[in-house]
Amino acid sequence: MSNYAPTLNPPTGTQFQQTVAATRWRKRMTSLMWFSIALVLTVTFAFPLYFMVISSFKLDREVLSASTQLIPANFQGLTNYQRAFDVVPLARFFFNSALMAVIDVIVTVFFSALAGYGFAKYRFRGSRIMFLFILITMTVPFQILLVPLFIEVRSFGWDDSYAGLIIPGIMNAFGVFMMRQFAYNIPDELLDAARIDGASEFRIFWRIVFPLLAPASASLAIIIFLFSWNNFLWPLIIIKDQNLAPIQVGITAFTQTHSAEPQWGVAMAVSTLATLPVAVLFVFFQRYFIEGLLMSGIKG
Amino acid sequence: MAAGTQKSSLIARRQYWGLVFVLPTVIFFIVFFLYPIISGIYYSLTDFTLLKPPVWVGLQNYQDLLKDRLFIKSISVTLGYVAGTTIPAWILSLFAAVVFFQKFRGREILKVLFFSPVLPSLIVVAIVWRILLQPGGILTTVLRPLTGSAEINWLDNPTLSPISMIIITNWTIIPFYMLIWLSGLTAIPEELRDAARVDGATRVQSFFRVELPLLRPTGVFIAAISTINAFQGFTLQYAISPGKGGPIDVNTTLGLLIWKYGFQYYRMGDASAVSMVLFAMIMIVVLIQLWLSRSDQFSLN
Repeated sequence: MSNYAPTLNPPTGTQFQQTVAATRWRKRMTSLMWFSIALVLTVTFAFPLYFMVISSFKLDREVLSASTQLIPANFQGLTNYQRAFDVVPLARFFFNSALMAVIDVIVTVFFSALAGYGFAKYRFRGSRIMFLFILITMTVPFQILLVPLFIEVRSFGWDDSYAGLIIPGIMNAFGVFMMRQFAYNIPDELLDAARIDGASEFRIFWRIVFPLLAPASASLAIIIFLFSWNNFLWPLIIIKDQNLAPIQVGITAFTQTHSAEPQWGVAMAVSTLATLPVAVLFVFFQRYFIEGLLMSGIKG
Repeated sequence: MAAGTQKSSLIARRQYWGLVFVLPTVIFFIVFFLYPIISGIYYSLTDFTLLKPPVWVGLQNYQDLLKDRLFIKSISVTLGYVAGTTIPAWILSLFAAVVFFQKFRGREILKVLFFSPVLPSLIVVAIVWRILLQPGGILTTVLRPLTGSAEINWLDNPTLSPISMIIITNWTIIPFYMLIWLSGLTAIPEELRDAARVDGATRVQSFFRVELPLLRPTGVFIAAISTINAFQGFTLQYAISPGKGGPIDVNTTLGLLIWKYGFQYYRMGDASAVSMVLFAMIMIVVLIQLWLSRSDQFSLN
């Protein structure tokens, strides 16, 4: 940056070397300063999750001790994880969460792409009003729908069932909106070329448009997985049977224990397991993860 | 001529495939959005307890709310929570974004770790923070040099408990808003910073005079989504505060009140009326956002 500043008297010889050394020194100090601030921020914000993970390897009573052991004194290995499976039907919780999240992702991505493409590339009567309608659904928070949706789903006889758990959340207005933006950029010539070759409209979507929407689909899939996996409020009210509960609801067994000796080590092990799938997605698909989050602008 | 009409009718017929493609989604939103929202308005005008069919009472539920001390309290609880989780989060996330925008070694790995609070669900966040906020727990110990007390009732003290909710919420949202700021900062062309530098502006001047005004759409966006999310506060208050929204209801947000009236007391009419009040409050925020961003050509699209 500094080389933009015009110098009237170019420094020469030792004077020049001194200037260079001073600039380099100043740059190094500045970068050290930023590093230190960033380090303080990161330690503050990353500590609770670090605490969660290490506590899952501690004895129950050590989890609460004020003298924080940054490394467990009595390393418990996977004992707490094994105990967790004995205390609650943990495998069942994870299966339910995975079932809900996977169905959510597949259905949302497919129908969002289909509808987004329909809105972007076809002119038909009512398309504007229908798109506006879907846009408006995005501005209404879920809590407003909570009571009437519960009553409706109950009237279908779907309370306490997978259908009631999964179906009401199976589509996403944001997905339609996002896919429409991406479908706009697909050149019409490509679609017309396929039409001349005699491809049906659905075939054009399935063979040409959907593959072209793959990067957007990846971001959307990750975001929907995150929302679905971490969803709490709807499963909380619609599921009473423990065998149908997803992990986020199942885990509340540990928040409400007022027993003499709460199993904090086990609670931390379950919390770690519940966070693991999202963390894995984040690590391996960081770019799509962040893109999706930025586009959605909401953290569920 | 005949061929022309045939062709145009073919194109017209083709357009109807668009309707076929959007129809499943539109029907879904009619069934699971339009119908419930209309029936929600209707339930808010009825006496309805699930055990017997709804009975029309007009505006009675809303009038009752005005005399309902828990509801009045809940409004002030919600507004306090909104204030505590929007303004500090806005400023601190901007600060963090400026830090992570600089060039220094180890930046990427620190940024990824800083981002980690975005990953866990709010229920997991609640469980972990319940341990961190034990009276003689870790936060108390860390702050002991400042406070001088060995035991702080972060969750059971009626004054401290809402502050604890605010601290936890800020912890979960700041990394995410940092990311939004950061993408805004990255989008500013380097030439603008250089131009300011050439004109003799210091780094600080360049930030406040050049970059911050350009970040206005980002700032409005973050202010809006943080406010809307804060109005919906539920999970933390449900899972972490003693007695679901306590002590003495200092953490009973409107979101929690809907749940209490609807799913603890089965007063569906009252719960629906509270929902509509919350809806109105959020709509006001949305309208303010639209008004503030009316001059930003980009933010509306």
